[in-house]
Amino acid sequence: MLRYAASRLFRAILTIWIAVTVTFFLLRLLPADPTLLVVEGDMTPKMQDALRSQYGLDKPILQQYGLYLGQLVQGNLGVSFRQLVPVTELLLDRLPWTLLLAGSAFVLTLLIGIPLGVYAAVGRGGPVDRAVQFFGITSNALFIPSVAILLLVVFGSNLGWFPIGQAIDPDTRGLAAYGSLLHHLALPLFSLVLVQLGPYALTLRTNMAEVLGEDYITSARSRGLTPRRVVWRHALRNAVLPALMLMGLQLGTLIGGAVLTETVFAYPGVGRLIFESVQQLDFPVLQGAFVILAVTVVLANLLTDLLSMALNPRIRT
Amino acid sequence: MKGTIGRIRKAGAALAVAALVTVAGCSLNEGGGDSAGGSNEGSGEQAGGATLRIGTTTDMENFNPLQSLSKTDSWILNATYPTLLRIDENAQKVPELAEEYTTEDDGRTVVFHLRDDFEWTDGTPVTANDVAFTAQAIMDYQLGNVAAKLTWVTGIEVRDDQTVAFSLSEPYAPFAEGVGFWMRIVPEHIFSQAGDLSQFANDGDWVGAGAYVLESATKGQRYTLKANENYPYAPEGGAAVETVEYVVYPDVNTMILALRNGDIDLMGTPVPISAVASLEGEDAIEIETVDSLGFAHLTYNVQNPVLADQTVRQALSMVVDTESIIETILQGDGQQMVGPISPIFAEYDNTSLEPYPFDPAGARTLLEGAGYTDGNGDGMFDDLSFEMVCDQSNANLTRVGEVVRDSAAEAGIQIELACIERNTFLSRTRGGEYDIDLSQWGVFDNPMDQLRSTYLSSNPGGINYNLVADPELDALVNDAAVTADPAQFVEKIKGIDAYVHDQALLTPLYVENFRFAYRGDRFTGFDPSPSDLLGMVTGYSLSQVTTVD
Repeated sequence: MLRYAASRLFRAILTIWIAVTVTFFLLRLLPADPTLLVVEGDMTPKMQDALRSQYGLDKPILQQYGLYLGQLVQGNLGVSFRQLVPVTELLLDRLPWTLLLAGSAFVLTLLIGIPLGVYAAVGRGGPVDRAVQFFGITSNALFIPSVAILLLVVFGSNLGWFPIGQAIDPDTRGLAAYGSLLHHLALPLFSLVLVQLGPYALTLRTNMAEVLGEDYITSARSRGLTPRRVVWRHALRNAVLPALMLMGLQLGTLIGGAVLTETVFAYPGVGRLIFESVQQLDFPVLQGAFVILAVTVVLANLLTDLLSMALNPRIRT
Repeated sequence: MKGTIGRIRKAGAALAVAALVTVAGCSLNEGGGDSAGGSNEGSGEQAGGATLRIGTTTDMENFNPLQSLSKTDSWILNATYPTLLRIDENAQKVPELAEEYTTEDDGRTVVFHLRDDFEWTDGTPVTANDVAFTAQAIMDYQLGNVAAKLTWVTGIEVRDDQTVAFSLSEPYAPFAEGVGFWMRIVPEHIFSQAGDLSQFANDGDWVGAGAYVLESATKGQRYTLKANENYPYAPEGGAAVETVEYVVYPDVNTMILALRNGDIDLMGTPVPISAVASLEGEDAIEIETVDSLGFAHLTYNVQNPVLADQTVRQALSMVVDTESIIETILQGDGQQMVGPISPIFAEYDNTSLEPYPFDPAGARTLLEGAGYTDGNGDGMFDDLSFEMVCDQSNANLTRVGEVVRDSAAEAGIQIELACIERNTFLSRTRGGEYDIDLSQWGVFDNPMDQLRSTYLSSNPGGINYNLVADPELDALVNDAAVTADPAQFVEKIKGIDAYVHDQALLTPLYVENFRFAYRGDRFTGFDPSPSDLLGMVTGYSLSQVTTVD
């Protein structure tokens, strides 16, 4: 069991290193030069060289990479080209918002997706099942920005139920501030859940349907257990495992979705920071953000692995 | 004994709570997420004056007014830190911190005379020392685009608290205008304590002297400015708008919804042409049209041996139907231009120039006359094939590119259109990797700076996109630059306008009008300046706004 955990940990670190390296070189392969974007016109070559050396872009690329890795293991993500402040500071400003949005989307998807999948599987071919299948396929095809704009127009502009953009009203205090937080969270959260839910419910439905055909379920039924107990205690326990793995894998997609969601809803998270930094070619911020995201996804997958191990005795040996 | 689901639910709930607590712990308006300059004691209540909320698409990146800035940075820092001159609605420089400027020694010395009633928000008066300090710092650290405007300075002399003189290595006619408009003056008593100014973040405790001074910044969300009660140009009794809030909406469609909903009062970014009609139909929303200080153009890379031929460039100018481009693509919302000088500079625009006619057949005849041939009989000349680059994020120019490509084909000229991602586009134009550059100049505050930057072979501003090295043109530009007599100066600019037009170094496309939308049911009386860099949101304009009851 310890060996299993250790090998997973080693794999996690290797994955992060690969992500860091790919990000570093990918950014430097871009055909544009960050110093060119600083001013429109009126920049003498001398000023440009000064800026390039200030950014550390004048050194050979392998030396830049070495310096960067050296900093990184010390926990230093560097200083933003454009904002002149440490990247860590920028990310810490934004990260809680993304965690809140993506985290609650993750939880809500589980809470709604599991019962949906179960009911669909139990009543296969019935109205619930057909509805879940239809919704699952549709939701899979939805494009977040279109959903987001639609929600904004209907619930924000036409009905006026929710605020347009931002994460909180800065003039509220105490309990009202929490209320404002949830009020602002509702639409972005809803659009993320909407696109995540379909595939999740469908996977769970398929697994559940398979498990319900297993011998031990038949024998459980024959022992006279209530159908409720059979489904929720015995079948779900095995059906949820692959679905949980899927959820861990989908975390990457969820965070990708957060980039678009945050941009359309003007939500101040890391995703939007990435969007802005791409336009400015702010390499240190992009590198920092991708490191944080890679670590988050890898950690989540590691947790999923360990959790499945805890739930599934077959892996433990 | 609870089952698996119970455990998962528990874990999920714990995760959600953890996230919520993280957010709550970090800010929830208790000041943690704010890098607030002023105290936040007012717990949200407004002291009488109105709050005007402005939408912007980007966050502030850089709070250091001495450096080069994004548009949002400029809007906020231009309001916070005063300039010597400002640009009025007719693109004329008018007094701001400087009452006037004079020249001495045949234009080799430029003297700014300052008002005596500007004050920093900490109570220190704004003096000539602040101006001298700012200019010296920019030159020492070579900061931003202002460093290029100060190239000629050999010495700065503070004559008294209200007088500062710049000695120049040679006379340069628009020196005062360029420096006066672009250089944001910073408080010496603060910035001299900041160490290396090229690394100074200036991200809190702002001390300004402009119409509105930045007070608090919440990254990713909003930036709050307070009216400076000592701003001398505010109307009698103080500005009606006491608080200006910039709210960030990265997506312009969301911003439009926010305006319609009343979540913001003004869009800082121009309304896209496609959205104008729907906003015009709203009673609560007013639309103001503002001129541009730049223009769209085709610029020919004369390092290409074929484009080095004046006849080819003239023929290309004859395949561009600017009138119908303005009518269809801009929906009529633009002005035509003939030479390289925009009609917004009415004084300098050479109105005797005749535009090249739109005449693809004539262009073909012209090229045949110059000896170009169509050997394989496919209707296209053999040597006339060019790549035209443009920025795909500019929807108007992308469409212009298609129109020009099609009409060029009628004249037997093959154009391959490469509308590419913005950063790649910028990199290619800077590197000279194109035959024809289809793009839009942002802001030229005066024609002389424009002509120097775009046509001098020494390429001082890095934007000679023609890559032209023409000794005659160099001589004309350099001669005009040192002309002190205003009437002669105007004549010389007009002469260059005519020369460049005849050479057809560029084909000007249009001067685009910008449309700004605001809540007319709440505010009125903006005093806009041309361009989307200035527009409705200059400190001066905001200080003139009144509320509608």
